[in-house]
Amino acid sequence: MAEGPLRFRTPHIEEIPTTHSRHQPGFAWVTVKKDAADPSKAAFEVAGKKRARTTGLGQTEAQREALSARQQREIERRIRDLNSDNARDVNIPIPKQTSGGSGGAKAGKTSNTKKILSSGKEFKHYLDDEEAELARTGKIDGLERDPDAAVAQPVQRATKMPIARRIQREQSSMSGSPGPATLAHGLTLPFEPGAGTGDEEHDFDAVPRLPTMEEMQALVDAPPLTYNAARSAPGPASAPPARVFCQTCGYWGRFKCLKCGERTCSVECEAVHVADRCLKFYA
Amino acid sequence: MPRQKQSKPPAAGLATKTLILDNGAHTIKAGYSLLNATSPPSLDNCHVIPNTIARSQRDKRTYVGSELDECQDFGELAFKRPVEKGFLVNWESEKAIWEHEFFNAGNTGLQCEAPEETNLILTEALSAPIALQRHCDEMVFEEFGFGNYWRAVAPSLSAYGASPFKGDAERPMGTPMECAIVVDVGYSHTTTTPLFQGKPLHSACRRLEIGGKTLTNQLKDLVSMRQFELRKEDWMANQIKEDVCFVSQNFEQDLERVWKGGSKDPRVVDHSIVVDYVLPDYESIKRGFARPHDPSFNARKRQLGIGGPREDLVVLANERFTVPELVFTPSDIGMQSEGLVGTILQSLEALPKGLWQAFLANVVVVGGTSRLPGFVERLEADLRTKLPEEYAVRVGLPEDPVKHAWTGGARLAQNEEAMKQLVVSKQEYMENGDVWVRRKFAGKLGR
Ligand SMILES: [Zn+2]
Ligand SMILES: [Zn+2]
Repeated sequence: MAEGPLRFRTPHIEEIPTTHSRHQPGFAWVTVKKDAADPSKAAFEVAGKKRARTTGLGQTEAQREALSARQQREIERRIRDLNSDNARDVNIPIPKQTSGGSGGAKAGKTSNTKKILSSGKEFKHYLDDEEAELARTGKIDGLERDPDAAVAQPVQRATKMPIARRIQREQSSMSGSPGPATLAHGLTLPFEPGAGTGDEEHDFDAVPRLPTMEEMQALVDAPPLTYNAARSAPGPASAPPARVFCQTCGYWGRFKCLKCGERTCSVECEAVHVADRCLKFYA
Repeated sequence: MPRQKQSKPPAAGLATKTLILDNGAHTIKAGYSLLNATSPPSLDNCHVIPNTIARSQRDKRTYVGSELDECQDFGELAFKRPVEKGFLVNWESEKAIWEHEFFNAGNTGLQCEAPEETNLILTEALSAPIALQRHCDEMVFEEFGFGNYWRAVAPSLSAYGASPFKGDAERPMGTPMECAIVVDVGYSHTTTTPLFQGKPLHSACRRLEIGGKTLTNQLKDLVSMRQFELRKEDWMANQIKEDVCFVSQNFEQDLERVWKGGSKDPRVVDHSIVVDYVLPDYESIKRGFARPHDPSFNARKRQLGIGGPREDLVVLANERFTVPELVFTPSDIGMQSEGLVGTILQSLEALPKGLWQAFLANVVVVGGTSRLPGFVERLEADLRTKLPEEYAVRVGLPEDPVKHAWTGGARLAQNEEAMKQLVVSKQEYMENGDVWVRRKFAGKLGR
């Protein structure tokens, strides 16, 4: 008992609860178990669990929330940085063209293009303008838009049904059929449009019906989604929890630093973290 | 309201020559195509030009677009990019680059002698704010003076490209694929676009905010934190990524293979994944390169400059595949969005089930990041496991995934009838105005 905690060189370490790790395929504990015969290793694990319980109780709910809110902000800042386009602190002047073109860099031949060329706006400004217009008028460029179009109709994920082979057969047999249906813009349906009875939901073994002319036309005519609505949505709640990695070496982040929440995989990597990077030094 | 019942734009003005300009955030893909040409367009006619103005802190020179080819020292090179988040935002710098590449081009083969006698096909990203669409149209007609113009979402052009699937019948020039999902793994982001006869089905288009630049920046951060300060070395980090990164087919297993283990349970690292990357110093070593990892004492001495010239070296192991993994598992950096496979399924779910098979059999992958080894194999395998086995899934990588959209545009520009349906002439723009042009490009006119 007594020697357990001493195996840790620092007190800021917590073992990740195993209930959590069970959901993650390939999570590190799978491999650690292989070494369970090693007595020192076993002691290491026991010590970790004990530590988790005691330090966990020592933290107030507010402290925990503050940590996770700060971590969330940190994650968002990092994603913004990872997706930034331009050099941050370097001003790059645009060189003058030596010949041809339309003169100076900013010039502009018409009042419209003069305005465009001298605009210092960034993408986020254009996006904000458009979102504001949509919120105010329900329209973009004079056309009705649904700001939540993409998220409004959640559809059930595919289930394993022996359907597709039949569609395939049906479609291939149709590919040579004469006189396909014609849509606006000179589009033609490559198949006979569906009858649109809508009762296929009741028949589990049914071939999913092909869209009707009207449905196909509506798909082709649908306006673009807004920038925000087109963003890939989060996964279902049943998705496995996010994987975490060792900050020092990139292996699974099996241990959590209680000072800053960062993860490491081993005592060695944890020591590097504490010596060089633990946020407690910056806080 | 625009004039009604105009089934075709006046044909008078359609020029023979079309400039196809796929205006990417990282590179411009550009070149000419001729109406009614007798042979398919050649990839050699497509020029890949850095879409950036770069400034060197070392030689104090500013490089515009293809001038970067002359650059000898990419150390601490800083970049200004007209395309931000995938959208053409800064026209001041884009104009400087276009003028350099198309109007001051010398003998590169890209010189546009008479824009008024040239058709322009220009790509833009999906869901562009209207103000940016208008800016594009105004600049093309009022500043550059092109005679005819089509502003297309980039994946539309890909639908006109040659099929990446063996055994598919050859389509005539200007005929798009019947159904396709174009997965564009670009520099700024990754988009999934179902297209029906070349037209994007907008309600089913999705964007995953992980792109080539996300990966480069992630690699830069990891290497800087773990080994060597690279934070100002965008060019170098991108090259390292292109040289050594790959998409793992079994992430958990590969991660185990390169773990050193703890002090009590050391592991033997599988050196088939580990590489040494020798960083360029832009003097004796002009370009970085990878070589098999050498853990020996002598190798370490050389790093210190003992017994030979000093080398700056980084050892890359799990970085090689944890970085590209972000496209498939963005939650690895805490991003909420589903990964690429989930994003493709989101696109599918917005379509009637009766269409799924047609789209799943035609998943076309384009964009620079799709060239990472293992990308297409992993995508196909993961997609396969997420779908009922009855669906036939085909994932295809075109001959050149970077130039594929350009090639599609170049094929289209050989077909007079197809071009007439799509372009707007400068005269029409002057007569009908900017709103009319946007309606036309959105497919709301000419029924
Ligand atoms: Zn570690
Ligand atoms: Zn810490």
